[in-house]
Amino acid sequence: MKKPSEAVLLLLLLFFTPHAKGTRFSPPGKPALTRCRSPEKETFTCWWEPGPDGGLTTTYALYYRKENSEAVYECPDYHTAGENSCFFNKNDTSIWVNYNITVVATNTLGSTFSDPVDIDVVYIVKPNPPEKLTVTVMEDKGWPFLRVSWEPPHKADTRSGWITLIYELRVKLEGEDDWEMHLAGQQKTFNIFSLRSGGTYHVQVRCKPDHGFWSEWSSTSYIKVPDYFHREKSAWIL
Amino acid sequence: VLYVAASCSAVPTNDLLDRASQHSDKMHSLSTILAQELDSHFPPIGRVMTPRPSMCHTSSLQTPSDKAQALQISGSDLLSLARSLLQAWVDPLVVLSDSAYTLPHPAHNSISNKIQELQEHSKILGDGLDVLSSKMGPEAQTLSLLPYTGNDIGQDRISKLINFHFLMSCFRRDSHKIDSFLKVLRCRAAKMQPEMC
Repeated sequence: MKKPSEAVLLLLLLFFTPHAKGTRFSPPGKPALTRCRSPEKETFTCWWEPGPDGGLTTTYALYYRKENSEAVYECPDYHTAGENSCFFNKNDTSIWVNYNITVVATNTLGSTFSDPVDIDVVYIVKPNPPEKLTVTVMEDKGWPFLRVSWEPPHKADTRSGWITLIYELRVKLEGEDDWEMHLAGQQKTFNIFSLRSGGTYHVQVRCKPDHGFWSEWSSTSYIKVPDYFHREKSAWIL
Repeated sequence: VLYVAASCSAVPTNDLLDRASQHSDKMHSLSTILAQELDSHFPPIGRVMTPRPSMCHTSSLQTPSDKAQALQISGSDLLSLARSLLQAWVDPLVVLSDSAYTLPHPAHNSISNKIQELQEHSKILGDGLDVLSSKMGPEAQTLSLLPYTGNDIGQDRISKLINFHFLMSCFRRDSHKIDSFLKVLRCRAAKMQPEMC
């Protein structure tokens, strides 16, 4: 009689011990809203950092309340801007209004709220980098110069004046460490003189809205300045 | 006076708007720096005690809340909104200026100088917008009155800091509105110069 029950106990122990060892289940840790950004004063996205999941499947929800309203809404779009983010399209975005935003992490043992964040979209504008960067070698009285031109990020409506962008470019010779910076103002072309003949130049451009943050740098455009000195010399010999 | 009026009306609208938006741009930039300066020494309790933005004395003015709405508004209405907001800040800027000297804040001298700078830009901008509105016709001259009733920033250290901070945050939002409206107007007037917009 004793033996079978012992066997059952042993089996039960075998079955539960590994499981019991891993049982450190808890409600989720506190998530944190890390960043909100609007690329064009028309839409915006907020991102959060999940806390520890408590060993259980944890879901996240973002809730917001707009100034002057008691109504609480859930994030309209968790997909467009990727994982742990919420995207607000044009219809969901108002400006000159504070959004009070909170992220809630939930698993079967409970829910944990992030610290709430207050944002007004006009204070979080960081545009995308300028586009269609082109660099060409031009000549002025026999001397080469670079003509750099670009277009505003296509999402930014600069034509209506809704957003005003200024540009900055940086240039360096291949193999050198330091960039040379040039502020271009509202212009969308810029000439660079006093080049080194025969060198390859790297050029990037970025933009800043009238009130907001610098964009990332655009992708690099490479251009080789022809070997003017040698060409002239050989022409001379010829 | 006549000479000034005559010479002003000789300036093309697009130039006037360009100059106007340089002042409104500067005003908003200054208000952003001021907000950051004030934030750096804000009492923790202030976060809870600060009035909500709907308590700003200009919050009753109906303004657009996104691009689509803003771009639908006529030029004279946009100008009227900008002028109403600017007018509404003449008195509170005096209150801010008077109280900045005695603000219990380590940077009160620099804050005080910036408020004076704000007042100067606001005055020049106001004069410029008056000229513009007289050019744009009667609708642009309509003003909404948004009276400011508080004359005093408070007695104790905490309420001085909180009220000053609150008033500046209201101004920061309104100066952004003024600047945005003027820049839209500037681009509408500058259709001949596509390089600007």
